[in-house]
Amino acid sequence: MPHIEFASVVNALILGLSIASIWLIAAIGLTIIYGTVGVINMAHGEFLMLGAYTSYVLQSFFGLPFLLCLPASFIVVAAIGLVIERGLIRYLYNRPLDTLLATWGVSLVLMQGVRILFGSDPKYVSVPEIFQSNVEFGFVSLSVFRIFVFGFTAAVVAGTVYLFYRTRFGMQVRAVMQNKEMAASFGINADRVYMTTFAIGAGLAGMAGCLFGVLAIVLPTMGTAYVVQAFLVVVVGGGTLVGSVAASGLTGELQSIFAMLSNDTFARFLLYVLIVVFLRFRPRGLFAVAKARR
Amino acid sequence: MLLSLGNVTSYYGKTPILKDIGFDLPEGQCLCVLGRNGVGKTTLLRTIMGLTDRSNGEIRISGEAIGQAPTYKRAKYGLGYIPQGRQILPYFTVKENILLGTFARTDGKEEVPELCLSLFPYLAQNLHRKAGLLSGGQQQQLAIARALATNPRILLLDEPTEGIQPNIVAEIGQTLGRLNKEFGITLILTEQHIKVARKLGDAFLMMENGRIVARGPIGEMTDDLINRHMTI
Repeated sequence: MPHIEFASVVNALILGLSIASIWLIAAIGLTIIYGTVGVINMAHGEFLMLGAYTSYVLQSFFGLPFLLCLPASFIVVAAIGLVIERGLIRYLYNRPLDTLLATWGVSLVLMQGVRILFGSDPKYVSVPEIFQSNVEFGFVSLSVFRIFVFGFTAAVVAGTVYLFYRTRFGMQVRAVMQNKEMAASFGINADRVYMTTFAIGAGLAGMAGCLFGVLAIVLPTMGTAYVVQAFLVVVVGGGTLVGSVAASGLTGELQSIFAMLSNDTFARFLLYVLIVVFLRFRPRGLFAVAKARR
Repeated sequence: MLLSLGNVTSYYGKTPILKDIGFDLPEGQCLCVLGRNGVGKTTLLRTIMGLTDRSNGEIRISGEAIGQAPTYKRAKYGLGYIPQGRQILPYFTVKENILLGTFARTDGKEEVPELCLSLFPYLAQNLHRKAGLLSGGQQQQLAIARALATNPRILLLDEPTEGIQPNIVAEIGQTLGRLNKEFGITLILTEQHIKVARKLGDAFLMMENGRIVARGPIGEMTDDLINRHMTI
């Protein structure tokens, strides 16, 4: 048994929170789209990538400050999501396999489209100087940007919870999730609910992409690096918001602790094995979506 | 006429379930739709709500054609629907279920209507209870309250007493009677309980194989008709 210092454990736990917040912000749009619309969106990684490119373009060509790139990425990618939903996805609701293939096709189109437009060389999204400094956080030194990501993710989760559980729009979404026919019988336009929810999910992915453009380099293929974690969080969480928060916290912390005991690669291997075993015994995840969708 | 149907044929897939249905319903009446299981009573209500796959013919509310409107738009013409099996949303609270009805309102009101609370004191005292935890009778009360929250001109009730304890059946019958006579809400009711139909109804339609085979004032609903079209 190796000797583990208390400081190292605290260090790993704090890093785990940071990892969890990154995985959660990557997964939240996917959670909403899967949880409410029931679509497994294989193009989610490319929505993240589009958010990063949106920020790069707005920053490099229009001089938009980073903090304004975040909402701008939301709007641009939500608009793209809206077009994809209206033009393709809405014809495939209740056909999960077709949706899977269609969104995968969309992901390839988006990736190649961006490659044609911007080339394959890396781009960068820069942040104000304050985000580039580090702060001592207990026993660990964290970059201010990672703390910003954590706070931003918490704000996005709070905003999403508010939207879905405290507003009339949220009530419409939850009604459609439970019983589409009954929701329509009481004046709710399910088609519009699906369209709006898909666009919000895409927009949230775009905003996450803006953050990832800072954490890593911007490439047409960058989405694939995050989408695996996003899917893991959604699958382990069961497709609900609370599930994704719990799943990202759990997997982020486990990844960090395993990495402390071994290394990053082995930690990831061990985490994936644990998730497979977990899904063997609880295939619907931690908190399953209400399965009354009709 | 508040509601008129003319030559309505309705389909599930390619199969016609309702054939050539036509009737006029004046405001304030209670129309009982009767017949054995599977004759098309539920499909008739679903057709009015726009919940079947396809329908031909004319459906008008106060002269306005709604036959081709999607369900969510029809709800806004003053149709309050209480489906078979109630179909309350189990993960919503009682309050949320009632508020669901307000999405069909055109007057912009977004509160639980006072009428729902005064008619159903149990619901008023349990607004924050999950609807899935209510008993069958309480769920039926909730389904009626939810439909009332739409501020309906017509209530479409599909077997409202089905699967409910006998003592609650009388209570629900009483409430429906009040809504019709006291509040002037027009009712279309599919019913298996002849007693309830006779007590509430002003007129009846008897159905067989997707068609109307007899109709008239409720007083003309003879035992012979019931024996011919309702007994198995």
